Amino acid sequence: MLTWSIDPFGVDANVMEPIHKAIGIVPLGDLSPLIPKIVAAHIESYLHLDADILPAEDLPAVAYSRRRLQYDAGKMIAFLESRPSTGHEKKIALLAVDLFVPIFSHVFGESRQGGAWALTSVFRLQRQKNGSIPAPETLYERTAKVALHEIGHLFCLVHCDDPLCLMHFSGGLSDLDRTPLQFCRYCAQYLREAKF
Amino acid sequence: MDDKMKIMIVDDEMIVRDSFRHWFEKIGHEVDTAASGPDALKKLEQTPFDLLFVDIKMPGMNGIDLLQRIKADFPDTTVVIITAYGSIETAVTAMKLGASDYLLKPFKPDHLTLVMEKINQQRKLTSEYRYLKDRLEHITRFDNIIGNSAPMEKIFDMIPEVAESDASVLLTGESGTGKELVAKAIHAKSRRAKRPFIAINCGAVPDSLLESELFGHKKGAFTGAVHDRKGFLEVVSGGSLFLDEVGEISPKMQIDLLRVLEEKKITRVGDSLSIEVDFRLISATRRDLQREVAQKRFREDFYYRINVIQIHLPPLRERKDDIPLLVNHFLEKYSRETVKHVDRVSADALRRLREYSWPGNVRELENVIERAVVLARSRTLGIDSFPFLKSGPAPEPAGRTLQEVELAHICRMLEENEWNISRTAGVLGINRVTLHKKIKRYGLTPSFPSSE
Repeated sequence: MLTWSIDPFGVDANVMEPIHKAIGIVPLGDLSPLIPKIVAAHIESYLHLDADILPAEDLPAVAYSRRRLQYDAGKMIAFLESRPSTGHEKKIALLAVDLFVPIFSHVFGESRQGGAWALTSVFRLQRQKNGSIPAPETLYERTAKVALHEIGHLFCLVHCDDPLCLMHFSGGLSDLDRTPLQFCRYCAQYLREAKF
Repeated sequence: MDDKMKIMIVDDEMIVRDSFRHWFEKIGHEVDTAASGPDALKKLEQTPFDLLFVDIKMPGMNGIDLLQRIKADFPDTTVVIITAYGSIETAVTAMKLGASDYLLKPFKPDHLTLVMEKINQQRKLTSEYRYLKDRLEHITRFDNIIGNSAPMEKIFDMIPEVAESDASVLLTGESGTGKELVAKAIHAKSRRAKRPFIAINCGAVPDSLLESELFGHKKGAFTGAVHDRKGFLEVVSGGSLFLDEVGEISPKMQIDLLRVLEEKKITRVGDSLSIEVDFRLISATRRDLQREVAQKRFREDFYYRINVIQIHLPPLRERKDDIPLLVNHFLEKYSRETVKHVDRVSADALRRLREYSWPGNVRELENVIERAVVLARSRTLGIDSFPFLKSGPAPEPAGRTLQEVELAHICRMLEENEWNISRTAGVLGINRVTLHKKIKRYGLTPSFPSSE
């Protein structure tokens, strides 16, 4: 969905950048093509926002840590935000590599409060704690939960105390699996008011 | 208590500070950062922080040094140590120095969540503990003596002063005003606190027995004395002796005790050896000992010896402001003891409890609440729970002389019986002629026509 932002003070709208009131989904590196479609479907049904799947891009090498053999989520977001905007105000990058932030051993996803880019990695979501491979629907549900949680942060939502809310912090897979695919009524209301 | 905290991250690596800040901002905490120990201390001087994450290895002042400074200067601040070196010794040292927890980076995200939950729990408990301790200390500053009325405040002020000296104390006041509690409080605040506190009710022990109880006896001193026995004056060694109902002590015993107080020595009954004793005497009486002295019923020299400092405990009717506090205290006590959920007294009942004269003082109030809780059928005690309140306060007597009382009583009975002379005489237990004579003598006339 493409809309134009109208300046109430009469500036010519044609000279303004077009703003997509939709979430841009960018696959980074090798990723099953089904994952972006699943995330898009969840954004549309849970956030009531349009989602555009954008062309895949390479993983930014600058974010790779040779010492930890993982990608630094903070550096990756900084890199993505440093590039010229493609028109979508809020975007989520989906990837299949392991992400970390310096203090944590790993993260499932990362974003900044009110930022433009969020990340979601399926790397640790596609394995059970015992190393076995989960049923595909489990992976899809986990990915959707992490993606919706990170997009929540892009709209300035903070972690929620309610363990039955998607904005509740999940430190591990069991926490994530316990969290239902829904926002509590407070976070849902906040999202309704905060959208774009 | 609000779960949101003011947090400072102290780490020389910017990426670590930023990682922490981003993470805590997502929870909604207020976050500040410092790149070094001195920088952190400067910020702490300016504004208080609830929680600090401190890296162990920093150039200049290291994390352990900073932890020690924080614990010395800002003891209320919680500190979590972070280390990349995974040395368990450092973590143990940090915990011994007062760190609440430690994190070995990089840590799993849920580990930080657990640490935060634990810290939140600790903060809640600490805050609740402080609040309750303050409340309790204020209300029961001296053991179980409850009250914040002006007369009790005066007593609370006196207790520590009196406790400092070794002078004999005489506690006066009606029965049930808490004389023994004050005696115990004086003992507890004195340098003798770790030594025994022995209480004897002199009114309840026969004179002959009191002598042996206080002074002890030698085997064979009297029939039944089959062993040597230490008396309380010996056993109390270094502690405080509380003589309740001291006014009941016989003149002979008064002389014996006077000698002990002067010489600080005793001789067991049936023995000739004197033993040195060291105790502080606290006495209590509900009698007016000064009047007893004037009437030669109590020895003057003994009176002055035991009455170096006098504390008068006011009757409950003179400290009515304490009644709601006492009612609540006893309500909680007996609800707990009887495992019954009774936690309030209706406003009406409380008003009537305040109005009541409480001849038995706090002890009577305690018994009344205990009875009411035991019999309670709901969580609220109403007027019905206190049957003695239903009859209302006792009517003031009509006068002081018998004649005044008789006149008022005859009048009331005549009114009640509508001036029916035969019926009134029957109620009063006198014959009609006598009643007629009294009516004539007092010049009584009916306020309405007589039916007779």
